[in-house]
Amino acid sequence: MEMLLMGACLSMFGLAVCCLAFGAATRDSETTATAAPAVEAEMIKAVASPARFFVQPPALPMAARSRVPIEALLLQIENHVRLEHAAAECFLESPNPSLLHSRTISTLVN
Amino acid sequence: MVDIDLLKGLTPEDAERVLALGKRVVLTTGAELFHLGDTADSVYVVARGRLRLTLPMQVRSHEEDILVEERSSGQTVGWSALIPPYRFTLTASAPLETEVIALPREALTNYFAAHHDTGYTLTLNLSSVIGHRLQLFQAMWLREIQRMVELRCA
Repeated sequence: MEMLLMGACLSMFGLAVCCLAFGAATRDSETTATAAPAVEAEMIKAVASPARFFVQPPALPMAARSRVPIEALLLQIENHVRLEHAAAECFLESPNPSLLHSRTISTLVN
Repeated sequence: MVDIDLLKGLTPEDAERVLALGKRVVLTTGAELFHLGDTADSVYVVARGRLRLTLPMQVRSHEEDILVEERSSGQTVGWSALIPPYRFTLTASAPLETEVIALPREALTNYFAAHHDTGYTLTLNLSSVIGHRLQLFQAMWLREIQRMVELRCA
């Protein structure tokens, strides 16, 4: 009789532990399920946010930037200005969108 | 006489009279005609040689004068002298020996007051010079914005 009662108590205890474990597991999955769309929405919002034109682009490593001698860089800038000037003159002679956005061979931007 | 954009439409005699108001200035190679922010008292016509118009720009933490435009024989420089607040908005220097005719604002405005037709023609010519610069830089600015947009959306 004692053995039977002990078995019944252990069974009840095991059942209680199982119920608690099941409850805990169910709560976690529900929380995750409700949190997931929010995270996803945040990610979509971040990806879909408009480009900001006046934000500085990521800086190049210092070594890469200083590789070009400053004299060469100044010449590149000057050459770029001359090419852009010429492109703008062409546009003014015959104003149309394709001439306004014609490609440049400037090494500063290519 | 070289073909001068400021004097287009004037008779040779009228053009000579306007040029007689000015003073010829010879710039040696590398000499500066005016500096950004200086008081602008005279308009300049390039008689021979070339002028570099520059603006300061930070390049690797150093201030460098960057070419914005070049002016050669017959072209007008320094129209800030006729437009308030009479301050130069660029720096002009000579990359080679250059001769300019400096036309003082006071002499010009006095002459225009007495010779309305000449004043009218010169004002139209000046508007054309200013308008061309505006359109040119508008197009250049838009091209840069377009590139920036392409870079951002790439």
